[in-house]
Amino acid sequence: MDSKQDDQTATLRARDFWGALVLIGLSLFFLWRTMDIPLWGGNRAGVSAAAWYNSAAIVPLGIFAGLLVLSIVLLVISVRSGGARAALSAVGIGWNGDEAWRFVTLAIILFFYVAGLVPRVDFILCSGLLITALTYGYHRGHRSRMSIAAAAVALCGAYALLRHLPQAQWAAHDDDWLTLLIWLALSGVALTHSRRDRFLKILPVISVLAPLLLVCAMAFGFRQNVPNRGGLLFKQIEYHYFVTIRPIWRT
Amino acid sequence: MDFVLMQLSGFGGAFMDLVLDPLTYAYLIISVFLGITFGALPGLTATLAVTILTGFFGNKIPLDYSLIALLGAYVGAIYGGSYPSILLNIPGTAASAATAMDGYPLAKAGRGGEALGLTTTASFIGTLIGTIALLVFVWLLLLLSQNIASPEKALLALFGILLSGTLMSEDLVIKGWISGLIGLAMAMVGLDPLLSEPRYTFGWSYMLSGFQVVPVLMGAFAVPQIIEGMRHMEMGKVVQLKGRILPNLKSVRRYLPTITRSGVIGTGVGALPGVGEDVAGWVSYGVGKTVSKEGNKFGKGSLEGLLSSETANNACIGGALIPLLVLGIPGSPPAAALMGAFKINNIIPGPTIDPAIILRVVAIMVLASLTMFIMGLFTARIFIKILAIPQVVFLPIVMVLTTIGSFSVGGGINDLYLMLGVGFVAYFMNLMKYPIAPLVIGVILGGLFDETFRRSLLISGGDLAVFASRPIAAILLALNLALIAAQVPVVKRAFGRLRGRKV
Repeated sequence: MDSKQDDQTATLRARDFWGALVLIGLSLFFLWRTMDIPLWGGNRAGVSAAAWYNSAAIVPLGIFAGLLVLSIVLLVISVRSGGARAALSAVGIGWNGDEAWRFVTLAIILFFYVAGLVPRVDFILCSGLLITALTYGYHRGHRSRMSIAAAAVALCGAYALLRHLPQAQWAAHDDDWLTLLIWLALSGVALTHSRRDRFLKILPVISVLAPLLLVCAMAFGFRQNVPNRGGLLFKQIEYHYFVTIRPIWRT
Repeated sequence: MDFVLMQLSGFGGAFMDLVLDPLTYAYLIISVFLGITFGALPGLTATLAVTILTGFFGNKIPLDYSLIALLGAYVGAIYGGSYPSILLNIPGTAASAATAMDGYPLAKAGRGGEALGLTTTASFIGTLIGTIALLVFVWLLLLLSQNIASPEKALLALFGILLSGTLMSEDLVIKGWISGLIGLAMAMVGLDPLLSEPRYTFGWSYMLSGFQVVPVLMGAFAVPQIIEGMRHMEMGKVVQLKGRILPNLKSVRRYLPTITRSGVIGTGVGALPGVGEDVAGWVSYGVGKTVSKEGNKFGKGSLEGLLSSETANNACIGGALIPLLVLGIPGSPPAAALMGAFKINNIIPGPTIDPAIILRVVAIMVLASLTMFIMGLFTARIFIKILAIPQVVFLPIVMVLTTIGSFSVGGGINDLYLMLGVGFVAYFMNLMKYPIAPLVIGVILGGLFDETFRRSLLISGGDLAVFASRPIAAILLALNLALIAAQVPVVKRAFGRLRGRKV
């Protein structure tokens, strides 16, 4: 029990070593950037700016100086506890291959979902793909399934991101079709494994219903903005809501 | 006496307004149900429940109703954590960690129904104790806080960040302070509040308005939980529930002293800025173990042990709302999310808050705890079924909820980038045992600290003595310095030596 605790502390101190270095770098960078803000009463458009005690730089200076001091203290604690020595060893990194792969695939999925798919692809389609990929990929903890899930989202996300980078092109629908195809294919793969995983059986239902209900509640219930209103499915839903369904109770 | 009568009549009016509005019940039932579900699912927390609902309800419906939704979810989630603690030996929320110590042995001994029934009753009474304290103390403190000016506000904000950093750190205290400073630094981005000087915008117009609270909350609390929870976990076998859940009056009466004591402890701990329900649960459990006649049975299936932690974590809710409403400093991480909801509705909690809001909050708390009590006693078997759902099924939906919630608050796609960035940073901070709550509190209080600190210096013409020249400011300054000094090794050693000499 004690040796496990010691191992955890050793890992933490080694990580603290890297953490402290990053924090020192960031503090110094932002202290340098703070110098751009007038501190000793600058002159703006012929008007004399405030004194030092009212300068917009005074509080950030204090914060980043404090951060620098605390980071140095953390570095000292880490070095004294052997963190610097263990920093490049397996103890210092503290992640095994499986855990690293799990994180990398998750990071890929989340990045391409947020940066590539949400702005450019219909929200129901991309969220359906996300739910399918995450549940299928991580339910059993198999590396191969994680890789397939990450590849599916990355393919759609990268296509949308690279093909329609500028905002003017976000309304195009070819990326919507690709996402729909990949989503269907991934759902098919998930269903082939559903004999042993009973949750995978209901996965297609969850992945359609959850984003559909959420986006409709947000757009028509709370009347809020939702991502990509011109998306392949949402465009049709919105049209029929205002033209076909809403007049029923409006008249 | 007049004061008490005035309070009661004000509360009665707010309560009747709520009771007579049919929409209240719709929001209350849905939010308490969602809250208990979030609490019952291991991997989802009360903070996450309030955070997600802040994104969803925060500015979409009138504040009166969004408060019902958020407080209902808060009360429900803290209580809901007891289900997996008792039946699975896995705490649903950090607040229920102490509950598992006695709840699971009780369930294994065939007393699961009794344990759940008493837990539900104790959580209900605990929430009421916290709420009564909120009603009384919030007004007393509001009277005191009329004397609070800029120097005191700046020192209070700093105290809140320092205290939460000190108490929330699992590893080194310094990490809690670093986390708080990172939060403060994030709050500096954008136009400064006094001179409209752009700071750290890097020429990006989105940054001029600073970091929005909701994406930061979502990133800090939801994204790391999603990343951490997306892994294969063998679900433990849910212990079969035996015995009736409805508690008998005799046992409630027997444990009433324990429930009352734990309620008072929970409220007190909750009132400390930045300290959450988990700390309240453990403190009350520790006190219970020391003072109880059956202290030696704690951890082996003691009902007193179970009630000590469960009452305290629910009582903590009312306590956590006291500093939030009076001083604008969140008393716990979910209260920080609640403050985000106030902020996006342009309501500034603190001495200038509309008293009607406080009365409404108290009335909502009473109704929410009653809803939780009824749901807990009569629909417990539904929540037990929910325990079988693995988190890899639930968390992807949470990610979609988080995304649409963050997007719709106002900043669009940029807010999503911010959410994801903060999320990854928060995940690594969690990994290195930096507490996240001080960061969020820093982001929320950063603007207030900046403005009041500089205003104090402006009024005094740059004289730093302004932070010590008024009695309350001097006390707060001393508290801040003591908090820092208590962590300096030389001071620690000196105190240790003094203590040794006394012995």
